[in-house]
Amino acid sequence: MRELTYSYDVVVVGAGPAGSMASYYASKNGAKTLLVEKSQEIGEPVRCAEAVPRLENFGIATDSSFVRNYIKGGYLIAPNGKRIVVKGGTDGYIVERKIFDKYLAIRSARVGTNIAVKSRVIGLDHNGEGYDVIIKHLDEEYVVKAKVVIAADGVESSVAEMAGLKTKKNPKEICSCAEYEMVNAKLLDKNMMEFYFGDVSPKGYVWLFPKGDTVNVGLGVIDSKKKAIDYLNEFLENPILEGRLDKATPVEFKCGGAPVGGPIKKTVKDNLMVVGDAAGHISPLTGGGIYLSMDCGSIAGEVAAECVKKNEFSEECLMKYENRWKEKHYKNLMKDLKYKNILQKLNEDELNAIADAIDGDLEDIDLKKIAVKIIKKSPSLLKYFKDLI
Amino acid sequence: MYYFQKVQSDTMKVNHEKCGYCGACVGVCRNMAIELVENTIIIDDEKCKNCKLCAIVCPLNVLEE
Repeated sequence: MRELTYSYDVVVVGAGPAGSMASYYASKNGAKTLLVEKSQEIGEPVRCAEAVPRLENFGIATDSSFVRNYIKGGYLIAPNGKRIVVKGGTDGYIVERKIFDKYLAIRSARVGTNIAVKSRVIGLDHNGEGYDVIIKHLDEEYVVKAKVVIAADGVESSVAEMAGLKTKKNPKEICSCAEYEMVNAKLLDKNMMEFYFGDVSPKGYVWLFPKGDTVNVGLGVIDSKKKAIDYLNEFLENPILEGRLDKATPVEFKCGGAPVGGPIKKTVKDNLMVVGDAAGHISPLTGGGIYLSMDCGSIAGEVAAECVKKNEFSEECLMKYENRWKEKHYKNLMKDLKYKNILQKLNEDELNAIADAIDGDLEDIDLKKIAVKIIKKSPSLLKYFKDLI
Repeated sequence: MYYFQKVQSDTMKVNHEKCGYCGACVGVCRNMAIELVENTIIIDDEKCKNCKLCAIVCPLNVLEE
């Protein structure tokens, strides 16, 4: 593949949303950039519930080729069936990820990024000035020179680990997920997400994300007795659904691991940055990571291009990336991590008590305000929420 | 000296018929023994220390000793 015979300023590994945004901004700001994707198809396999935030914030048009549905809010459903409506602050889209990811890669290629598909990074050697990136494509090995490597290789997190950073995750920090994309489901509202909590999905939740003609029905569990797929098959028959999935049938199966343990400690070193799932850029509470990956990827691409202009690729120079993403997202990530840790400890009775303490709809998910309400009604829950208020 | 016989293998094995090739197992393998190549999980027996962390995160119960 001729793309692998050149030398680059920036080599981005992984053509998910983080990698495509990073390569877009690196190329747009003048860096000679290669985006490496190990699969033969960008966007495959899908391992996601496919909810994305408002894309207008990224200057990306909500293209009908990938947008499947608009989402105006969601229902949080307690084990006793009590539904709490959340509107505002949660709107966004359900997309066809395999088309969305390819769209972002095309967008990056249009500003000059070279893309190597079916190309797998098998080694990284520091050569004093940057990295020799060893890439295997169709059984042939290539050595590609890069001044900066951006590791955006997802939950697998192997590339930065090869360079000596600690990116591999603790199994208790991985939410193990399984999902059917189904047809013929009856939804509460075709523009509202549904979330179910409790023993149906230990330490995680079940989601129903309406996707136009279909709905993504999935769940995530952490360190559970049974496997995610077993909980999912059981849930389809759960009485809480009142038979709404009885006639539903799948057209796709998806599974995956969401790294929900919070961001990794160190996301830069000389000539290298880590972004997206590999860096833990994913909400520990919701498991949503597209927005964070795209935003942190954008920052990484911009900083990489700045460093190319300065011809300075030390950890100190690249640290601007870590400082920028931390300034914008670290506080929220750590807050979500705290909330997740509380949620994981609650049993079904406590979840029901919380749901019963909330009257009416929620305008947004401000857990601090909600916690105050809950404790007024159920003081016994104070032990979980005392750190929040 | 029959007690030297192995009754179980000392590395993890993948049930390829069951695998959904999501790569969650790859993300927890500190020995870098697992790789996802296209739609196949490959375990390097030389690197696998049989810690079984990969089996914990598998959504489908694909990894066994």
